[in-house]
Amino acid sequence: MATAIPLFASFKYADSLTVVGISLCTALVCEAISWILIYRTSSYKSLKSSIDKASKKLETMKTDNPSSKLTNKKSKTKKIDRVESSLKESSRDLSLFKFKSGAVVALVLFVVFGLLNSLFEGKVVAKLPFHPITIVRKMSHRGLKGDDSTDCSMAFLYLLCSISIRTNLQKFLGFSPPRGAAGAGGLFPMPDPKTN
Amino acid sequence: MKESKSAKLNQLQQQENHQNAHLSPSKLAKLFDPDASWDKDQLGDVLHWIRQVVGLISGLLWGSIPLVGGIWIILFLAISSGIVYGYYAMILKVDEEDFGGHAALLQEGLFASLTLFLLAWILVYSLAHF
Repeated sequence: MATAIPLFASFKYADSLTVVGISLCTALVCEAISWILIYRTSSYKSLKSSIDKASKKLETMKTDNPSSKLTNKKSKTKKIDRVESSLKESSRDLSLFKFKSGAVVALVLFVVFGLLNSLFEGKVVAKLPFHPITIVRKMSHRGLKGDDSTDCSMAFLYLLCSISIRTNLQKFLGFSPPRGAAGAGGLFPMPDPKTN
Repeated sequence: MKESKSAKLNQLQQQENHQNAHLSPSKLAKLFDPDASWDKDQLGDVLHWIRQVVGLISGLLWGSIPLVGGIWIILFLAISSGIVYGYYAMILKVDEEDFGGHAALLQEGLFASLTLFLLAWILVYSLAHF
């Protein structure tokens, strides 16, 4: 441990490792909070289960060979509509449920970002191996002096860490949202084109 | 009575261990078996992790050489998508219509792999060459 600190200090951009380390710890803490407030609850488990069942049922119904009789087609369409609206409802409930508990996670992320900002404001934490486009540069060069667009600020590195680490951690732990929910509108569903 | 119960329990446990020992090789075999049946979620997860591994290796490689320039991001996306397409179309030979089409399969894990690639590339480049 004593030999590791001088080793890291010799790197010009050793601060990048600090940012990554803090991001990793934050991701673990956020997932732990999410597990306590969301994933271990019976409401979440039952909503997830009903979404999975409904989306699988919908897939089966849509891929079954269509019947030649008109009456059977109509009743099949009605059944599909019923399953779709139940799926949309469950997805909406799931999103709302996660939204309420997600406020705590958002607070943690906000506090950590504030802490990192105070630690690394104005500091170049890494070097980009490319010149970013204008939109990306606004974040990657945030708070930095000079015109060198390859200088990387904490904000951009933290954003990359957050997205990559949290997404993969959620996937690894099995906390990713069910695929059926993603296609069913979520909290703000679009109007059903069939009824308009 | 107690002895027969514990013997039964031991037997069940042995059967489970036997099954578990066979799970890993059969799962690995399934990854390269064109005749295996795939669930949408299972295939999506496999494609996601393939993208993440490709992203990580590419980032480490691009950063070590180092490869510099925005063109290498485009090349990474092309290589990564090519590997994923080659895997599900040529090795697994799945019908993409059963899984929502090419777009649905190709977008699995795309954004996360891009951010992981950028993170690895930037870190290795910054730490190894300055």
